[in-house]
Amino acid sequence: MAEEAKTVTLQTSDNQNIKVDREVAERSILIKNLLEDLGGESGEEIPIPNVNEAVMKKVLEWCEHHRKDPPASQDDDSDSRKKSTDIDEWDQKFMQVDQEMLFEIILAANYLDIKALLDVGCKTVANMIKGKSPDEIRKTFNIQNDFTPEEEDQIRRENEWAEDR
Amino acid sequence: MADPLNDPAAFTAPSYLQAIRSASTMSANKFDEGYSEDTRSQTGSDMIMRGGEGAIEVDLQYGLPEWVMGMTESERSEFAYAILRSLRTSSIAGIVDKLNPLLHLDPVMHLPPEITFQIFSYLTPETLLRSSILSQSWRIRVTDSSLWKVMFRLEGWNSNFGVVRTFEERERQKRIELRDRERKRRVRATTDTDTDKPSSKKRVRERQLFGDGPPENGIHNKLEPLTLNSAQDTTSGWGEQHSVVEADDGLATKPDDSMEGIAYEDTPSIASPTLEGSRRRKRSSDPGDDESSFTSTSTSTSHPFRPSLFLPTDEPKINWQYLYKQKRRLEENWDNGRFVNFQLPHPKHAEQSHTECVYTIQYSGKYLVSGSRDKTVRVWDLDTQQLVLPPLVGHHASVLCLQFDERPEQDLIVSGGSDCSFILWKFSTGRMIKRVEKAHQESVLNLKFDDTYLVTCSKDKTIKVWNRKELWPTDDAYPSSTKKSKARFPSYIIDMQHQVENQHLHFKPLPPNSLIMTIEGHAAAVNAIQILNGQIVSASGDRNVRVWDVRTGSCIRTFSGHTKGIACVQFDGRRIVSGSSDETVRIFDHATAAEIACLHGHSSLVRTVQAQFADLPGNEEDMEAEAKAVDQNFFAEAQRHGFLNQKSSRESRRSRNAGSRDPSSILAFGAKLPPGGGGSRWARIVSGSYDETVIIWKKGADGSWEKAKVLYQSEAVRAAGGRPRRPVAHANGPPTAGNQAQNQTQQQNQTQQQNQGGQVQPWQAFAIQAAASVQAAQTLAQQAQALHTASQAFQPNTGSATAATAAAAAATSSNAAASSSQTAAQAQASTATPAPQQNAAAATGGNNNNNATAAAATAHHHHHAAPHHHHHAAPNHAGGANAQGTSRVFKLQFDARRIVCCSQDPTIVGWDFANNDKDIMMASQFFGNSV
Repeated sequence: MAEEAKTVTLQTSDNQNIKVDREVAERSILIKNLLEDLGGESGEEIPIPNVNEAVMKKVLEWCEHHRKDPPASQDDDSDSRKKSTDIDEWDQKFMQVDQEMLFEIILAANYLDIKALLDVGCKTVANMIKGKSPDEIRKTFNIQNDFTPEEEDQIRRENEWAEDR
Repeated sequence: MADPLNDPAAFTAPSYLQAIRSASTMSANKFDEGYSEDTRSQTGSDMIMRGGEGAIEVDLQYGLPEWVMGMTESERSEFAYAILRSLRTSSIAGIVDKLNPLLHLDPVMHLPPEITFQIFSYLTPETLLRSSILSQSWRIRVTDSSLWKVMFRLEGWNSNFGVVRTFEERERQKRIELRDRERKRRVRATTDTDTDKPSSKKRVRERQLFGDGPPENGIHNKLEPLTLNSAQDTTSGWGEQHSVVEADDGLATKPDDSMEGIAYEDTPSIASPTLEGSRRRKRSSDPGDDESSFTSTSTSTSHPFRPSLFLPTDEPKINWQYLYKQKRRLEENWDNGRFVNFQLPHPKHAEQSHTECVYTIQYSGKYLVSGSRDKTVRVWDLDTQQLVLPPLVGHHASVLCLQFDERPEQDLIVSGGSDCSFILWKFSTGRMIKRVEKAHQESVLNLKFDDTYLVTCSKDKTIKVWNRKELWPTDDAYPSSTKKSKARFPSYIIDMQHQVENQHLHFKPLPPNSLIMTIEGHAAAVNAIQILNGQIVSASGDRNVRVWDVRTGSCIRTFSGHTKGIACVQFDGRRIVSGSSDETVRIFDHATAAEIACLHGHSSLVRTVQAQFADLPGNEEDMEAEAKAVDQNFFAEAQRHGFLNQKSSRESRRSRNAGSRDPSSILAFGAKLPPGGGGSRWARIVSGSYDETVIIWKKGADGSWEKAKVLYQSEAVRAAGGRPRRPVAHANGPPTAGNQAQNQTQQQNQTQQQNQGGQVQPWQAFAIQAAASVQAAQTLAQQAQALHTASQAFQPNTGSATAATAAAAAATSSNAAASSSQTAAQAQASTATPAPQQNAAAATGGNNNNNATAAAATAHHHHHAAPHHHHHAAPNHAGGANAQGTSRVFKLQFDARRIVCCSQDPTIVGWDFANNDKDIMMASQFFGNSV
């Protein structure tokens, strides 16, 4: 009985059911709020129509590893603080996926409201941009340059004010 | 089943997921535009259409046989690999090329703006700008105004949100009025919009398509006559951007008019309520409003990529990238010493000038208030450089200190002076509100007020606290106890602790400006004071800074380190920065009283100092951690090299460290702040001294404070177009010195020439003479400094510092009668050798002597005691040394844009680092004031 109440079943967009500890699932504020709204009734699948099975499994892997983390404080002033892009080792490894998966994890974290995972994902992308030349960034993300050389030159000149002294 | 889950609107970004998951869904999307700048998260996946994805689409149209599709994913994977292995390497390479777009996805295409916003907020401004040339859609996202607002804040810069909001609101009103006027005019002319120039219609339509999404109902409602010339119209989307650029140029003529210009050209798009609505919706989902600006690849305009003050949106919104850029350019001017000088009064209104030296100034954005030895207080408009009011007359002697608050709810100037009184004036009218006679037994040397208290300090060694408003014993601001400290309380102050115990509750309120307490504890004159967060910080001739609790009068902490009397102090909540007769500026950690930096550079008393650490938001813990790390490093090094046991005294080490992290120069441990005091790379200290210079200090590579720039008061007066008070009779100095001076002051001379335009030739000759004399004076000052340092070097080694310095002071000041300086000055004029050193030594020595005998002891005091021999004597002297003694710096203040300082010269001078750049001047009004 008590065992039962501690797990929930999530139904992914491709109609797969994933059974997971409630504590793990509740890393997602969306799911947490949902479960609270539903009251004691569990057992029913919770549809997550925006996330497919592959991504959901990956997200839950992260939640499992971080299940004991303190809950994210909603009102922390992280937005106004100088941000470091340091990522802890386990998360770094976790984020070593193809870009499609990376973006899907970010979107899923955003949708499921898992702030810490969203942060890690965004930092990962930021780190892919850091320290690269424009051409390297274009290559990394397959960005089509739609500026004419003249425009590019104009922008370069306009940006000169920020060149490091 | 929970409803929210079935409601598609509840999901933030389904389209992205679908788009990524199956390439085939893409074909379902409409291709009609083929290009869209719309990156809002709610609009669907059409953005994915761009780039190389089309190629994959074609490939996949080659259908796979059913038996292949019947396999599991891993089987198919094995199978595909087998097929690949059967190919030649070049074919494999070709396939890899085609797969490339699948493996490398553009986040700007695949992630909604709110997420790329977060990604970009982790990057530096430099990286963001580098990314702005990647593609047009990247450019839109990385030049997003709110992103740059974050960047601005993360530099530790202050901005004045109130001013930003007011400015936007005013602009909005202007645009509305203009639109109404436009509309009326149109009605009068002809109501038929179809008669408009075709080009204008075209432009409006394009705005709709590219800017705000598909046109909504009633496009005609949104059509407004356009008055752009046709050349601009043909550039369609760029026209909008161009209009802003034009406005930019417009600023060069007159800021207000140019704002009109922007309003005018943006008017067409704020026509209808429908559009209004769509815009609001857009804003709620999109942090960036500037997406409409890139709609064409036209290159016909001059600066299409330059950020402008207002975003090219309908609603007037300040562009934070513009503010960021101008702030950076302003900082660069500071670093490179690019400025123009100005003076109060304007050279054309010399009659408005104070008639004697100016002891104190304070300014806020627009106004400056000054107090002088001529007993008056004057209120200036910084823009016009003229008086706002007739001089405020009321003090019976020199005005030494003041503070003002021009905000209507305060509308107050408080001034104090040598007549031992302080006066409250109405700022707006100059009317005297109240005079408090005999506030102290001697000169009121400094005063500060906040909402609750006024604190004054005096040569009589006391600090007094007065209430601003009527005060009840039950108020929080009322003294909490009269017994907990050595402070003296007037008899009408009730000991609340005692009263509460006795249940005596018959209270009367204290009328405003009553004395609440008198704090004694300093052993010499209290020269400077500040109040912040219920704490009074005081600096005294007794070489100590003390912090007091304003409710009990008890001394919370004492900061020692200075070896001579302290003349000025600033407290920002974390550090205490003080300037002293020992010629240094020191920084103390407020929490632990540790000295965290000592700045050497002046060659005489440091009379005024201001520091701006530009703290990064929430960096308190970071700084504490950094301080700890430095400590640990220190102890580790100390153990390795054993310099803890070294004989080097605390003093000798202290005198070396300007904030370095080098373990060998650490002088205090356990501080909550790292050496130097922390803060961002934009941190700045400006100090003014009796050596007639103003020094701008910046943190160097190792975090220690360095002289970034030395400014000369006397040069500033000349460069501002004014005349130094005592024109130098003739340049007696050696001709080579004159040439050098000419080179050295070339920049100033240039500025000067610019400023003076049609000045006649004799003036230039005069300027060169003057420059030469300055050079001569500098040489003297350097010599004096060298000698002085040499003499100082003896002091630290003698162990018991206080006794030693006092003795030394007594020795050097044996002939320190202040009157001797006149003779000294004469001597220096004729010999141009170490003579002035005598003067300096005599002056400082005099101070110390006073300290030792516990008399009121400050340079200030000294200055008063010796009745202004400097300027009175000056005209009698011949030669370059004349410059000395006429421009000792008494008080300075700086903000993001300017330094203003007052001195022995009756003219107030300033350095404006906007350097006449219209953009910087425009942006500066939004930059917050420093501490």
